[in-house]
Amino acid sequence: MISILDIFLSFLKIGLFAFGGAYAVIPLIEEQMVTNTGWMTFTEFSDLVAIDELTPGPIIINSATFIGMKLGGVPGAIAATLGCIIPGAIISLTLIYLYRKYKEIPVISEIMKVLKCMSVALIFSVLIKMFMEAVIPAGTLDSLNYISLVMVIVCFFILRKYKTNPLYLMLACGAITLVLNLTGLL
Amino acid sequence: MLKKAWLLFINTFTVSMTANSGYAIVAVFRNRFVDKYHWFTKEEMDDYVALAQSCPGPIACSSSMIIGYQSAGLIGAFAAVLGVILPPFFMMILVTFFYTFISTNKLVRIFITGMQAGVCAMLLDVVLGMFEGVIKMNNYFYYFMVLACFLFVRLTKYSIFYLAIICMVIAVVKTLLFKREVDKK
Repeated sequence: MISILDIFLSFLKIGLFAFGGAYAVIPLIEEQMVTNTGWMTFTEFSDLVAIDELTPGPIIINSATFIGMKLGGVPGAIAATLGCIIPGAIISLTLIYLYRKYKEIPVISEIMKVLKCMSVALIFSVLIKMFMEAVIPAGTLDSLNYISLVMVIVCFFILRKYKTNPLYLMLACGAITLVLNLTGLL
Repeated sequence: MLKKAWLLFINTFTVSMTANSGYAIVAVFRNRFVDKYHWFTKEEMDDYVALAQSCPGPIACSSSMIIGYQSAGLIGAFAAVLGVILPPFFMMILVTFFYTFISTNKLVRIFITGMQAGVCAMLLDVVLGMFEGVIKMNNYFYYFMVLACFLFVRLTKYSIFYLAIICMVIAVVKTLLFKREVDKK
């Protein structure tokens, strides 16, 4: 049994470093939950990213509630959610205090720029792992899943060109895979 | 004060229930607190959003925290942030029940696995969008940072939490060095 305090501290760490947009938290969750603690499998993590996209609400809160709930029930969910918002709460209150005093804080904007660069690299790295899972599940060329590969490419072009809600594309991918499986084509 | 805090809670709660992305939430906040209640001017609101973007965690939380604090002090801040987190919190508890119940079902498994192709495409779109932001910064230093961070995470076994700290230190050092150059001129 994982203690509620451990869940809280893990999410405190994630909350403290989740700078730079909604998706920045995804690599941090993978690092903390899959690599560092082993509390989740990579498959569960991939499921979670899909669920985050299917449900409204900020990704970090959805993920924290979901993981906390799985690890320690409702108390776990509360601990995880509190953990991930406390750093942001303290920092936002500090910033508004500094803002009232000085109006401009150049160091902060530079930190944000550098962390944005980091987020791009980290999300790209997680994306590579998820792409491998989806397209070459066994890690060899024999296991190459053509249908999955085609779906990724087609969905990407639809997203770029028509700015479609990714939710519909994900549901379509799921439905196509299911139909192909049931009809025995896959 | 308490009445204002209650108004904050009701507003953030209803916004959080209906708007789904962080930026949509901020847009509705702007509409309600600037245009409807006239608690802040448009310029003040822009400053608050910029500050909220500099905080870790969801922008919906940090912006509601700042708006709440500016209009009704600490009580306001807590009322506002509580309103934002409660709807997704309760919904995810339901979703988790549902997930543990159905995720071992073979057909559901196939469906979720198939969905991963869409998730990959979505993340690729997100990364490209963010990279366009890096291009707009128009400085080779930031390209170098993206590459360095990528190599760090792929080639070393060190935690990315250290990487975040290193990045912050680099940013502070860069600001200090740059500031000195400006002072010299």
